[in-house]
Amino acid sequence: MADASQGSAPKPSSSVKLVLLGEAAVGKSSLVMRFVNNDFQENKEPTIGAAFLTQKCPLPTRTIKFEIWDTAGQERFASLAPMYYRNASAALVVYDITKPSSLTKAQHWVAELQRQASPGIVIALVGNKLDLATPSTSPEGADEAAEDENDDDEADARKVPTKTAKAYADEDGLLFFETSAKTGENVAEVFTAIANAIPETQLKGTRGSAAARAQEESRVNLSAGRDTMGAKEGCAC
Amino acid sequence: MFNNLSSFVQKAQQLIDPNLLSSSTNNPSKSSLFRQQFRLPESQSPSQEILAELTLSRHGSTNSVDGSKEDRDRERSQGSRYSGRLFLSEHYMCFSTQGSSFVSTATFASSNSFNGETHGTGPASNGFTLPLSAVRRVERLPSQTNLFALAITTSNGFSSGRPKASDDELQKLTIQLLGSRQQCERFCDALKKGLRSGMKTTDNLRKVVSLCYSEYHLAEDSSKEHKEREPPDTGLGTLFKYPGDARKLRDKAKMRLWKEYLRESGRNACLVRQPTFHKLIRVGLPNRLRGEIWEMSSGSFYLRLQNPDLYTETLAKHSGKPSLAIDEIEKDLNRSLPEYPAYQSEEGIGRLRRVLTAYSWTNEEVGYCQAMNIVVAAILIYMSEEQAFFLLNVLCEQLVPGYYSTTMYGTLLDQKVFESLVEKTMPILWDHLQKSDVQLSVVSLPWFLSLYINSMPLIFAFRVLDVFFLEGPKVLFQMGLAILRINGEELLDAHDDGAFISVLKTYFSRLDESAHPKSENPKLRAVTRFQELMVVAFKEFAGITQQTISDQRAKHKDAVLNNIEHFTKRTSIRNLGPESKKLSANDLGFLYDRFYGVLYDRQQRKLLIEQENDRRAKAGRAKISDIMPQMSDDNAIEVGRVALGSSDTQMDYDAFREFLAGIAPWSLSDNPASPWDKEKQQSYFGNSMRNRSVSLTPWGSGPEPDDHEFMRRLFRQWDSEHQKYLTLQNLVAGFSHVKGTRDIMSNIAYFFDLYDDDGDGKIDRDGILKMSEAFLFLGRKGLDIPELQSSSGTPKKSESTVVLSKDEQFLSAVSSFIKRAFEYADPDSQMNMTMKRQNTADNVTKSMDQFAIGDDDEDDLVDLEESKPVSPVKLKSTAAEAEGEVVKLPPVPSEDKPHTHAANAALDPAKPLFISLPTFRMVILADEVLESFFDTGFANTFLLADSPIPSSASAMASLTTFTNLGRASPATVAQHPGIILPPTKGLRGMLDNIVNDGMRVAHEVRRRMEDAQRELDRASAAGASPDEEDDDDHDEHDEKMSSHMDPDRRSVLSTDRDLLETAEAEGVDSGSGRANSVRGTSLLDEPIGEKKEGEQSAKVVEFER
Ligand SMILES: Nc1nc2c(ncn2[C@@H]2O[C@H](COP(=O)(O)OP(=O)(O)OP(=O)(O)O)[C@@H](O)[C@H]2O)c(=O)[nH]1
Ligand SMILES: [Mg+2]
Repeated sequence: MADASQGSAPKPSSSVKLVLLGEAAVGKSSLVMRFVNNDFQENKEPTIGAAFLTQKCPLPTRTIKFEIWDTAGQERFASLAPMYYRNASAALVVYDITKPSSLTKAQHWVAELQRQASPGIVIALVGNKLDLATPSTSPEGADEAAEDENDDDEADARKVPTKTAKAYADEDGLLFFETSAKTGENVAEVFTAIANAIPETQLKGTRGSAAARAQEESRVNLSAGRDTMGAKEGCAC
Repeated sequence: MFNNLSSFVQKAQQLIDPNLLSSSTNNPSKSSLFRQQFRLPESQSPSQEILAELTLSRHGSTNSVDGSKEDRDRERSQGSRYSGRLFLSEHYMCFSTQGSSFVSTATFASSNSFNGETHGTGPASNGFTLPLSAVRRVERLPSQTNLFALAITTSNGFSSGRPKASDDELQKLTIQLLGSRQQCERFCDALKKGLRSGMKTTDNLRKVVSLCYSEYHLAEDSSKEHKEREPPDTGLGTLFKYPGDARKLRDKAKMRLWKEYLRESGRNACLVRQPTFHKLIRVGLPNRLRGEIWEMSSGSFYLRLQNPDLYTETLAKHSGKPSLAIDEIEKDLNRSLPEYPAYQSEEGIGRLRRVLTAYSWTNEEVGYCQAMNIVVAAILIYMSEEQAFFLLNVLCEQLVPGYYSTTMYGTLLDQKVFESLVEKTMPILWDHLQKSDVQLSVVSLPWFLSLYINSMPLIFAFRVLDVFFLEGPKVLFQMGLAILRINGEELLDAHDDGAFISVLKTYFSRLDESAHPKSENPKLRAVTRFQELMVVAFKEFAGITQQTISDQRAKHKDAVLNNIEHFTKRTSIRNLGPESKKLSANDLGFLYDRFYGVLYDRQQRKLLIEQENDRRAKAGRAKISDIMPQMSDDNAIEVGRVALGSSDTQMDYDAFREFLAGIAPWSLSDNPASPWDKEKQQSYFGNSMRNRSVSLTPWGSGPEPDDHEFMRRLFRQWDSEHQKYLTLQNLVAGFSHVKGTRDIMSNIAYFFDLYDDDGDGKIDRDGILKMSEAFLFLGRKGLDIPELQSSSGTPKKSESTVVLSKDEQFLSAVSSFIKRAFEYADPDSQMNMTMKRQNTADNVTKSMDQFAIGDDDEDDLVDLEESKPVSPVKLKSTAAEAEGEVVKLPPVPSEDKPHTHAANAALDPAKPLFISLPTFRMVILADEVLESFFDTGFANTFLLADSPIPSSASAMASLTTFTNLGRASPATVAQHPGIILPPTKGLRGMLDNIVNDGMRVAHEVRRRMEDAQRELDRASAAGASPDEEDDDDHDEHDEKMSSHMDPDRRSVLSTDRDLLETAEAEGVDSGSGRANSVRGTSLLDEPIGEKKEGEQSAKVVEFER
C-alpha cells in the first residue's frame, strides 16, 4: 500500500501508509483526530474494524501524504489487523501511560509487526494521555515520580515510567514519544519523526503522471524536514 | 499421540466421504430448520404438521366458513384466506404459507425452502406463530363438506387491562385441516395435549404481553381506566426524543396504519402476518412500535416469553461480580452513540451498561465485543432493557452468529462471502478492486459488524434494521451489494482505499437527497437515495437469498477458520513470554497444537456424552419425536474449535494427564481400567449420529494415562499461579524448564525443587524415597520400545539384550542413588524433635508406603501392618497388588519369609535427615547413568516436535517460518503428528501425518536402540556391567519375581557402607538379564525381582525392626 496512493491530489506527493495499533481506548483515534483535524473529543466511539483518514504534510521540498489506518483496539479484533497493516510502511503503536497492561499489549504488537509486516517498517512507540501525568515533571524526572505511584494530592495517574518504555523502545529500535491527544502535546512531532524516518526507497510517488515527479521528489534529501515539521500547523490542513 | 492419530483418521474419513459431511454434520437438523423458519427458541421442535387453510374472520363477523357466500368471496378477494401448512411444537402452533415441510420423509430442499426467495415476507412468510398459551378456545366446526375445521379463539386483547374483551374484539382464526381423517385427528389430539400444557404458561404470556406497546395502544380508545395506566417502556426515545423528524418520517400516519393492521390481524402474541405486515415494515416502522415489531419478527419475543424474568435474574445473580467483559464494557459506555442525548445521561448509560453486562453473563464465551455497544445503544432507543436483552441474544446467537465471538469468525466469514458475491454480481468492479489493491472488507466490515448503524445516518440505519430483523442476515448482503452497485461508476474511478472510502462516505451522507434531482418527473424527483438503495437491494438483488448466503458460508468456512487458527497460533506462540524462547519453534507449535488438541478432544467427548445422556433421557420420555427425527445439533462437531472462540484455554489435571499420555510414554497407565479400544474410535463420526455408540472412556480413543505422584507434582509445579489449571503459557514455561535447557545443573536443581515441598532447600527421607520412586516411574518404560510401538497392546516377546541392559543400569543407578542419598544426608535436628514423638513403626510404614506406591493410598496401610516384617520391597509388592497395579504379572506371593533386617541408621525414623541441593547434585553426578538422565535423558522422555536430542540453541531463529508448521516434511522424520488443530489441514496433510507417525516410531525405535548400544559400549568399556548373558529363561523368572524383589529392594536400602563400593556393580549385576518382567508392569517390582535370591541375601543387609 505504500506505493498505492490517491489519484486526485494536485500536488506531487509521496504516500506513506501508516497504521495505528494498540489496546482499546488508549487514544489511537484521538491521536489521529488531533493530527488530522487538530481536534479532540472527550467521548470518541470505539473504532469498529478500522477507520481510514488521510493527512498531508507539506515539507519544504515535497509533500508527504499519510494514509492512516486507525484500527480497533479490542483484543478480539487482533485477527483483523493484518488486513490493515499489510503494506504499511509505518506504524504507531500506542499505549496509555496510565495503564501498564497497554504497554505489554504494545510490545506484542511490535513483535507482530516486526515479524509479519513489511520489512523495514518504521515503528513508533507512543505513550498517550501524557496530560494525566503530573504536568510539572519533565519526561526524565517523571520516572522517579511514577515509581512511587500517586500518593500526593497532585494525583499522578502515570503508571508507566518513561524510562521503562524508552528503554524498551531503544532496545527494539523504535521511535519513542509521549503524547497527549487531549492537549496536542507532541502529536505532530510523532508524525514528523515518522515522515523523516521512512527510508527514501520506501517513498513512492503518486499514480499516473504525477508518479514520476513524485519519485524525483522523494529522492530529495529530507534532513531539513524535522524542524519545519515541528509546528502542528505544519501538518494540519 | 495415538489419540491424535485416531482423530486424524476420523477426520480423514470425514473428508473423504462428502456424503457423510452433508448428511450428519453440515446440514442443519429438521427441528433446527423449523426453529429457524419461525424464529423459535431452542426448546421447540415440530411434532405435527398438516396442510391447512387459514381464514381470518373479520372484525365482528363470526366464522366465515359458515358465513354467507358474499362474505367469503369478499374475504377471499381481500386475501385473508391462506393455504399453507400448520405445525405444532411443544408450545406453539405455527402456520405459514411458505410451503416448507419438516416431516422425516421431507427432502432437505423442502425443509429448507424458507431459506429461498421469500418475496419480502421473511422466512416465516404469511401466517402466525401462536403460543399455545394464547389460545383461549378451540372449537371443531360443523361443516357441510365433511372436512375438519377448527375455530380458534385467541386471547388477543385480553391483557389490555380489562377483565373481559368485548366480543367484538375477539380474534378468531378458522383453520381447515386438509388431510386424511386420521391425520386430522392425530393433529387435534396433539393440539389438545399442547393446549393443556399451554395453560401453565399463561402467566408468562400475560406478563410479557403487558409490556407490549400494542396492547396499550389498542386499548386506548375502548378502555376507560386506560388513561391512568403507564404506557409500557418503548425505549429511551420516549424520554430523549426519537431520532429524526417525526413529521418527515410520517410517524403518525404509520402509527395509524399499524393500529388498523393490528386490530384486524391481532397483536403481539396473536399477530397474524399478512402481506400488509411486511409492506408496513418495508416502509419503516413507527417509533413507538418499532421495538415490539422487531421482537416479533426476530423471534426474541418468544425467547422472552419462555423466560420473562431472565434479564432481571441474570443481573441479580451476578450483581457486583467483576469480569473482563465488564471492564471492556465500562471503557465503551461513554463511547456509544455519544451524540444521542440519552447517552450523555446516567439513565441511558445505565441501561446500556445493564443490558451489555447481562448479556456478557449469559454468554460468557462472547462476553463483550466492541460494536455490540453501538448496536445495543441503538436498539435501546426503541426498546425496554428487557426487550433489548433478548433481542441481543437472538442477534448474537441466531442472526449473526460468530460476529462478536472472541475470534470474530462470523464477521470474517461473512466478509469472504460478501467479497465472493461482489465478484459474482459485479465482476467489473471486482476486477477494478483487485487491480487497485483495494481490500473490500476494510470498507464493508464495519457495515456488517455494526449492522450499518455506524455507517449511515441513524434514521436510515433503523430502516435497514427493520427489514433485517424480519428477513435475516441476507439483508446485510443485499444492502452492501446495492451500495456498491449504485456507486459503481465512481468507485471505478477510485484507485486506492482512500478514494474508495471517501466515495462511500459522501454517498452515506447524502442518503436523504433526491436520487433523481434533475428528473422532470416530480414523483421521481421525490425518490430519495435511500429509497433507491432499498429498491436496488431488494429488487435487483432479490436473488440473494438466505440459501445463497448459507452456501457461500459453507464454501468459505474452512479456509476462514484455518486462517484464524493459523493466526491465533502464531500470535499466541509469539506472546508466550520469555521462557518460551528456550524451546524451538517446532516444539512450541507442537505444544500449542497438542494443548488445544487435548482440550478440544475432551470438550467434544464431554459434549457427546451429554448428548448421549440427553438422547437416552428423551427416548425414555414423551414421544414428541413421533414423526420428527431428533437429530443432534448442527455444530456439535465444531464446539471447542479454536477459531470459533469456544475453545477451552485451561487445562486441568486430568487434561494434563491426557496431554502427557500423548507425549511421554512413562505417563501411560500400565493397567488401564478401560483398555484402549480401536472400535470405539470409528463411531464418533460414523454415518449415523444416532447409532454411534457413546462408549466413551474418560480418555476417549486415546490410551489411558497413569496417575502417578510425579505427574501431580509436575502439574503443581507448573501451575505457578495455583489456579488448579494450566494455561498454555504455564505449560510452555514448564517445558522450557525440563526441555529448554541443556544445563545439567539447572536440570538437577529443577528436579530438586519439584520435591522440595516447603521450599526450604531440604528434602527429607520421605522425599528422597519419592524421588527415587519417580526415577523408576520415569524409567520404567524408557526402554520399552515394542510396547510403545504396538499400540494394540500385544507385547513382543523377545527383546534385545541391549535394551535390557540399559534398563538395568538405570535401576542400579537408582538403587545407588538411594543409598548415597541416605549416606550423605544431613541429620535434621529440628525434625528430630517432632519425629521422636511419633510411633517409629508407623513412620517407617508410612514412608515405605509412599515409597512403594507413590500415591498416598490409605488402604495399603492395613496391608502393611499385617505383614509384619516391613521391608520396602514387600510393601511395594503388596501395595501394588492391592491397588491392582500389577496386572501383567502373576500376583506376588505373599508368603514371603520374614528377613532379619540389619540396622540401618539412615532409615531409622528416629533420626530424621534431609539432603540439600548440593548433596543431591553430588549424588546425581556421582552416577554416570543419573548424570545422563539429568543431562538429556529426562528431557528426552518428552517427545515433542523436535528430535529427541535437544538442541537448546535452535530456538527462536526459525519463528518466522511458522507458516510451514504443521506440515510435516518428510525430512523431519521425528516430527510428531500432534497437530490436531486445525483439523482440516487437507487430506494430504493428514495422511502425511499418519505416515510420519509411523516413520517417527521407527525412528524412535532406532534411536533408542542406538542409545542403548552406546550405553552398552560405554558400560562395557568401563567394565562396569559384566553380565548381559542371562537374558534367556525369563519366563521362569517371572513367577519368582516377587520373591526376588524383596532382596533387591533391601539391597537398595542397605546402610552398610562397605557395600557402597560394590553397590554399583551389584546393581548392574542384579539388574542384568531380566527381560519380560521389565515391560509394561509396575515400576518397582520386576526389574528388581530378577535378582537371584541367593546372591541377594548374601549381600543385603536388612534393617531391623
Ligand atoms: N486524558 C486524555 N484522554 C484521552 C487522550 N486520548 C484519548 N483519550 C480518551 O480516551 C478514550 C479513548 O480514546 P480513543 O481515541 O477512542 O481510543 P482508541 O485507542 O481509538 O480506542 P479503540 O478505537 O477502542 O481502539 C476517549 O474517551 C478519549 O477521550 C489523551 O491524550 N488524554
Ligand atoms: Mg479508535
